[in-house]
Amino acid sequence: MRTTLLCLALLAAPLMGCGGKSTPAGNTLIYGRGGDARTLDPVHAQVGESVKVVVNLYDTLVTYHDETLDLVPSLAEKWEMSEDGLTWTFHLRKGVKFHDGTPLNSEAVVFTFERLLEDDHPYVFHGTPPYRPDFQMIQKVEGVDAQTVKFHLKTPSAVLLKNLAMFSASIVSPTGVKKHGDQFGNHPVGTGPFQFKSWTRQAELVLVANDEHWRGRPPMDRVIFVPVEKSAVRVEQLKRGQIHIADNLPPAEVDTLAKVEGMGIQKQNGMNVGYLTMQLEKPPLNIPEVRWAIGHAIDKQRLVEVAYAGHAIPAVTMVPPTMWAHHEGLVDREHDIAKAKELLQSAAKDGGFELPLKLKLFVMGSPRPYMQSPQQTALFIKDSLGEIGIEADVVSYDIGEYFQRLSRGEHDLGLSGWTTDNADPDNMLYSLLDSDNISDDGGNNLSRYDNPQVHELLLGAQQESDEEKRKQMYLDAQEMIFTDAPTIPLVHTDVRIVHTTRLKGYKLHPSDLKRLRLAYFEDAPK
Amino acid sequence: MIRFLAARVAQALATMLVAVVLVFFAVRLLPNNPVLSRFGQHAVPDRVEAEMAKRGWDRPAWEQLLNYLGDVFLRGDLGESFFRPGENVTTELLNKVPATIELTIAALVLAIPLGIVAGVIGAVWRGRFPDVFFTTSALLGVSIPVFFLGICLLRVFTNMPTGFRLPFGADFQPVTGFLVPETLLRGRTDLCVQALWHLCLPALALSTIPMAVIARITRSSMLEVLSADYVRTARAKGGGRWRVIWRHAFPNAAVPVVNIAGFQVGMLLTGAVLTETVFSWPGMGRYLVEAVKDADYAVVQGGALVIAAVFVSTNLILDGVYVWLDPRTSQMESTS
Repeated sequence: MRTTLLCLALLAAPLMGCGGKSTPAGNTLIYGRGGDARTLDPVHAQVGESVKVVVNLYDTLVTYHDETLDLVPSLAEKWEMSEDGLTWTFHLRKGVKFHDGTPLNSEAVVFTFERLLEDDHPYVFHGTPPYRPDFQMIQKVEGVDAQTVKFHLKTPSAVLLKNLAMFSASIVSPTGVKKHGDQFGNHPVGTGPFQFKSWTRQAELVLVANDEHWRGRPPMDRVIFVPVEKSAVRVEQLKRGQIHIADNLPPAEVDTLAKVEGMGIQKQNGMNVGYLTMQLEKPPLNIPEVRWAIGHAIDKQRLVEVAYAGHAIPAVTMVPPTMWAHHEGLVDREHDIAKAKELLQSAAKDGGFELPLKLKLFVMGSPRPYMQSPQQTALFIKDSLGEIGIEADVVSYDIGEYFQRLSRGEHDLGLSGWTTDNADPDNMLYSLLDSDNISDDGGNNLSRYDNPQVHELLLGAQQESDEEKRKQMYLDAQEMIFTDAPTIPLVHTDVRIVHTTRLKGYKLHPSDLKRLRLAYFEDAPK
Repeated sequence: MIRFLAARVAQALATMLVAVVLVFFAVRLLPNNPVLSRFGQHAVPDRVEAEMAKRGWDRPAWEQLLNYLGDVFLRGDLGESFFRPGENVTTELLNKVPATIELTIAALVLAIPLGIVAGVIGAVWRGRFPDVFFTTSALLGVSIPVFFLGICLLRVFTNMPTGFRLPFGADFQPVTGFLVPETLLRGRTDLCVQALWHLCLPALALSTIPMAVIARITRSSMLEVLSADYVRTARAKGGGRWRVIWRHAFPNAAVPVVNIAGFQVGMLLTGAVLTETVFSWPGMGRYLVEAVKDADYAVVQGGALVIAAVFVSTNLILDGVYVWLDPRTSQMESTS
């Protein structure tokens, strides 16, 4: 041991002395995150790391209010819907320019949506846009005059506006796309509060303030996104002031940082759900009593303590409480081992299967925002099920293949989750539990739940424009789903972000979009 | 001699071809389908097939292989990343490989001289304090996992950079990817100092294993040589202690050291994977790790090709060095 210390001291001697500050001065925000963006072309952007840059580079026709989920005008100043709900007319804001000087007009909007919707569009170079299904209701987009655009729909849609606020519907500069061709994702041109400066992959992505932004120049001169995979390193960098803001840190690290002076933490109830899927095509999981028993066996409150360090709330339904149409009236199955055992034993007798029941429990190999400690969660569930006579065998797969296996229904039980794309219950219920989404190739109805009544309700709700009626349909659907219990909703996790207290004006948005337009340093030179 | 080297070159090329083919199939045997992987939880079932067809991934593997080999060897095109649309693998590797090579060289600059000196000292004072000190350090060096060591170094040296090659916002667009020489040549001495400064900790973390290995090999090889008759004779003739050690003993002890040092170059490239992740080094290792997770065919294949090329060419160079150090090598090879 003495030798080790001596050795370290010897190695340290030449390095300790010299100092070097590597933090750039001035009005530059440095954003530390767990990975790099993949593309800055909104039609191809998909992973969170790409999205958080895209939302700062581009604007959409409508957008979320700065602090709430209300939709407010953005590039479209106002809009109206026809009587039959099939035609929407958007009036574009005048005088807006893209970063390359191209004026924002109907041509740009039509071009943007043609890229998103058309097969083999001449200016889409990298395959089908992943978010195209969210815009399938659009038949055609046409420019009426320079500042007016009409959207013709195939069917009335209650989610059109919400989806138009999504990053994938960001309006792009046609000149920019035509100039850069297949390299547009490396040379993005939008109308957003920040414009693109440079990108050295896996090193830094630099944005600078857009002096001409229609909502005024943002206070920050520059924003630099840096990818730092190791969260321990990001924590160290935050403490030293080398980065100013960091997201996706493990709960325990955030708790540690909370005690450090000069660190501020923001928290939001996340619009997500972490859940346990049960493969309904595999007996005896097709018997509701078995699924109810599993529901009674899991103490969700305790799970929150064990696997989320208390930073989550137990889930009753797949729709998080932060989202409209969340069913508040549903009372969860209480944690009751005796009742669970009883249900399981009677199901075993009637269904003719033996106890202990052996099931495979799938768990993803790396954490997700809605499932921050997958291994601990899996072990917790395994122990809980052990008490009622189910032997769960925990099987782990790397994230790349994990959801493919679940889509193919290889699991008995599996951990999964979802973060909403558009803050609409359709995105939670239709995507995750509708029979349309049972498919070996990436279907998201992992439980293979097929209830025709639920299907009818969910399809109807997609087209219902009366908000109250629509809400009722989602409440009814949630009740039926709760009774059928094709999944056990486990938790809705908190989203937390850590930043230096010098940083003001930035507010973590309920949608979790990282919009930096209003951020400034309190001690910034004026 | 020429025949010997020609045979070696042919062998090297064959090795590379085998490596490329093996990796080509290995990456296709991964259980995840890149198209589904890219679309993740947003996969569009009916489009997945079309996407596969568009990229030719629905064709038989041998046909895909022939196409790939054609692209690589006839057109020098390594293809495009599937997960980062618009990213050309050749261009990207031309940026990443120099970053890794610079880091590897820095690590070797630390590892080779320090390793050799430690080994020689250990052999000379066998069983005494310097020997115990260096042997223990070497044991520690090979045993500590790089990512752990990296985090420790970051915590201890609080005024050192926490990663990357230059300070954030340096806004220097390199042409070659070799930052140290390039910043110097372009007259940015300030950035050159920064680049060297940023190299310190990752190079140190990366150097411990090869340093330890080199020290141990040097020590045992030196011990053998020091007990040889000719060394005793040299001493008897009145040669000074260090003159005998460095002029008579060490050159003969060096052959296995060169051997192992060369091997370490290859090992460093793989070791760099971990170091690069800890220190956010924009090199090939970190690039490849991400690609393997995604099953990004073109990137994994391109990276494997480069690694194979580096391995094979260092071995070639080493073969040359052996022949130069010990001319018997080439004769032995050609007669056998």
